[in-house]
Amino acid sequence: MTDNQTATPPLVSIFILSAAALAYEVLLIRLFSIIHWHHFAFMVISLALLGYGVSGSLITVFRRWLLDNYDSVFIANTLLFGITSILCYIAVQQLPFNALEILWDSSQWQRLLLSYLLLTLPFFFVANAIALTMMRFHQKIALVYGIDLIGAGIGAVSIMALLQIFSPDVVLRILGISGIAAGLFAMGLFTSGLSAPGNLSKRQKQITASVLLMCMFAIAMTPQKWLDLRMSEYKGLAQTLLIKDASLRFQHTSPVSQTDVVQSPLIPFRHAPGMSLQSPKGPPEQLAVFRDGDEMTTIDHVTDRASLEYYDYMSSALPYHVHSLPQNTLILGSATGAQILQAHLFNISQIDAVEPDRQLSLLITDQFADYYGWQHLEDKVTIHTTSSRGFASSEKNYDLVIMGPPGASAGGSVGVHALSTSYDYTVEALQSYLKLLAPDGLLSITLWTSTPARGNLKLFATAVSAMKNSGIIHPENNIAWIRSWNTATLLIKNTPLTAKEIHNVRSFNQSRSFDLAWLPGIEQHEANRFQQLQEPVFYLAAESLLKQPPDQFGGRFIHEYKYDIKPATDNTPYFNHYFRWSSLEEFLSLPGQAGISMIGVGYPTLLATLAQSAVAAFILILLPLVFVRTDKKEDANKRHNIIIYFLAIGLAFLFIEIAFIQKFTLILSQPLYAVAVTLCAFLIFSGLGSLYVQHRMKTESNAIIPVILRRSVILIGLITVCYVVLLPLISSMIMSLPETARITSAFILAAPLAFVMGMPFPIGLATLQRTRPHLIPWAWGINGCASVLSAILAVLLAIDIGFNGVMLCAVVLYFTAWLSQTKILSENE
Amino acid sequence: MSVRYIIIWVFVQLIFVPGALAIADEYTLQRKQMIEGIADDVRKTAEHINKKSFNDIVMQAMDVVPRHEFVPQNLHSQAYENRPLSIGYGQTISQPYIVALMTDLLQPEPDQHVLEIGTGSGYQAAVLSQLVAKIYSIEIIEELGNSSTRLLDRLGYGNIETRIADGYNGWLQHAPFDSIIVTAAISHIPPPLVQQLKKGGRMVIPVGSRFQTQYLTLVDKDMQGNVTTRQVLPVSFVPFTGGH
Repeated sequence: MTDNQTATPPLVSIFILSAAALAYEVLLIRLFSIIHWHHFAFMVISLALLGYGVSGSLITVFRRWLLDNYDSVFIANTLLFGITSILCYIAVQQLPFNALEILWDSSQWQRLLLSYLLLTLPFFFVANAIALTMMRFHQKIALVYGIDLIGAGIGAVSIMALLQIFSPDVVLRILGISGIAAGLFAMGLFTSGLSAPGNLSKRQKQITASVLLMCMFAIAMTPQKWLDLRMSEYKGLAQTLLIKDASLRFQHTSPVSQTDVVQSPLIPFRHAPGMSLQSPKGPPEQLAVFRDGDEMTTIDHVTDRASLEYYDYMSSALPYHVHSLPQNTLILGSATGAQILQAHLFNISQIDAVEPDRQLSLLITDQFADYYGWQHLEDKVTIHTTSSRGFASSEKNYDLVIMGPPGASAGGSVGVHALSTSYDYTVEALQSYLKLLAPDGLLSITLWTSTPARGNLKLFATAVSAMKNSGIIHPENNIAWIRSWNTATLLIKNTPLTAKEIHNVRSFNQSRSFDLAWLPGIEQHEANRFQQLQEPVFYLAAESLLKQPPDQFGGRFIHEYKYDIKPATDNTPYFNHYFRWSSLEEFLSLPGQAGISMIGVGYPTLLATLAQSAVAAFILILLPLVFVRTDKKEDANKRHNIIIYFLAIGLAFLFIEIAFIQKFTLILSQPLYAVAVTLCAFLIFSGLGSLYVQHRMKTESNAIIPVILRRSVILIGLITVCYVVLLPLISSMIMSLPETARITSAFILAAPLAFVMGMPFPIGLATLQRTRPHLIPWAWGINGCASVLSAILAVLLAIDIGFNGVMLCAVVLYFTAWLSQTKILSENE
Repeated sequence: MSVRYIIIWVFVQLIFVPGALAIADEYTLQRKQMIEGIADDVRKTAEHINKKSFNDIVMQAMDVVPRHEFVPQNLHSQAYENRPLSIGYGQTISQPYIVALMTDLLQPEPDQHVLEIGTGSGYQAAVLSQLVAKIYSIEIIEELGNSSTRLLDRLGYGNIETRIADGYNGWLQHAPFDSIIVTAAISHIPPPLVQQLKKGGRMVIPVGSRFQTQYLTLVDKDMQGNVTTRQVLPVSFVPFTGGH
């Protein structure tokens, strides 16, 4: 038997639960990205995380009973996490939810709501276990919180490792079993007497242990077919497999994506984006490659050079006809090797290809090397597994730098990538590509077109901005821009196009029935001949953007266009985001749900997620107050300050964390590494910060609390502002270092800020503990709700004010929290 | 025995036929409302489709074809709403306005032969069958193609010939065609289809997701064999403002 002062909280169990919960969150996003689409996965999981808020509210109401039965309740919650992590996933898969039909069919909303509720449960049970432990061991609240954060940090890295080794269904079982294992550890502790007095009899303990073990066994033995992914029948992979004799040839899962390779011998694939109607023949036999069941690319079956001739009839072949004798080519984003084959067709002797997804490269160099004809290419092609930006920091020079289709999917045109950041198509990125060009070199970027035009116009605006930043005073002389039926190719030189090159562009276009969008000396009638648009929008946009005075680049045109086509930058790297609030009313007024096809689904999904989260958070934060005992000392004003404090630090923590994920994506070249390193570093160092608070509170008086808070907030402000100013410079210095050095640097950069960011939350709880301990779970719930809102708000803000703005908002929020805490403390005194 | 069966049959008819007639009337009414909805949408998008109304014969065909027969039983009540509906196999029946727009863009004539790539539910073919001499329709999903063929046969659309095959190569045996309609997602306009299009012929290709047509591409092959494409936005939206 121990008293509260010396009692040991079930720290191992907390550690395991936190790790399992974070890993489960990442896993669910992965699974639902495959089943549906990523933006819907993001929405469903964001809402499910409100389980933390629900937990806080319920514990606030039932805290006495729950604390009286702490041991049993804790173990029950670990068990329920383990069971529901599997069962709720299975149940959600049974729901006939179709994300694409949500605007047409109101019953889809009911299914979506049910999905939220089901997936909320596992997070609810984890949150219960942690929040109750904080209350039960209130003297060690910062210790429990610190272990919670460190566990989550380890969970972030573990899930990446697990998904590299195991398939998602195996990982799901591991996480479910881990949750129950946390219960077993807790039982061991409660039985040992190291913990506080328990409420379980010996016989109850035996029964509980048996139940836990049986449930672990049941999870391990869950029939495989129950866990099999039931992909939406509207995804490309699902539809392809319906074709007679189509079969899966290869499958690989990773933390980033699921890659499937499909063969269809009876009805072959023929993927050739924007191929000219003048092409004498189509593509050869192809294998289809799907990522997360969609975004199809292909692998050509190369039998001879003639089978590649169709590449000469795509708009992306333009640079090979303009440049006199290109020798070396850099392909940025080589995917499954279509651009490599195009370069091979034109006898390029040296090809560097850059592809961040190693699995895609392995398909053509290993698994399907013979099919692709890699043996004829390997002597002259080098594939680099890194990002385009990472590679662009090298000092090499190329005759041609190529980006974009052939081969790429058209996902961006329907807006599914609207919320994805891309550092490959920013002003800074294009400047770095221009630096790679040899004196007469060409940068060629091909994109799918969309109707009405948006992505290509944004690319043009970004390119012109990059050229001006690179010192090109008259970009109009250095650009050729053409379009096919559904692709457009932009060609840029550091020097003006010569008369011969201009002639070559016209000849190429004429022979392939492509249209000019821009060329030095272009006349309007050349811009809309073969692929007629209602207006020659590409030409009109180019003319408007190029003819603005130098100090008002793009001003009026960019301002008045109904889509956001202002240049993407490293600070606002949302190249695929085109939504403008000023156009919303018109979009909504379009009949037959047509507005969504004009906006794309990404941004509305984010707004819908925010609206739903805000309503749920509002209810969850205010509802418990109806049940909470109030006295004269505790007026509404005091509670407002508590709400402000925990809401502010919850929002601010994730604002900074999400901004750093983006900043580190540039440094680490791989978004996956950026997520893993940032989460791991921030959670672990914040956990250490919380442990530091525990140590200070243990050794010193309570008077130290406001001092630590003041210092931590000031430090957060100073470090954040320093990073806003210095990170671009630091990034450029680090980007060329070896991978290990870059990861280590990212950890070191995150450490000081994360350490001080780990302090305000346990300080807030410790303050509550002194005066209003019954509100601790409520505060925990507020923080949980804030975290959900923060992840969404950070993206919305970043789109408009950039990630630097998001970080500065976080600083303001931390100072707001400090002020509210000062009021709370003064009220207490 | 046979007399007794006849009596039972007459009795059954007396009970059920009035109900069936009532349902049929209901569908006729819903079809009328659908037609009004389409006409309204046409007026709203007149600027983009370059006409204030569709050809009367197109609207009459839309008014005749029992759309509810082409959707699953559980969706009969929604069959005439101006929205796409799921028909299984990851496929949809397009919203009526889009079907009418595509049909109108083809400028159908009674003596024409039309090729359809993507039979789907069979509804588009059924509408066209009211307006042209012969429709050849190709579907790549075997189960879907078979079920739509059975349905079209049952409903008596005798001028529609279907097959399960690769639509990319068209249907050389029956080429050339006056019009071609492609409802499958494609990365480029298949050269064999252009070759199988008659001079002066038209091809329509809707682009977008299963539940949302973003725009239509109209391919024109002139009398000299030159091919141009034209984009048709099915909604009233102009991204330019001000002085452009």
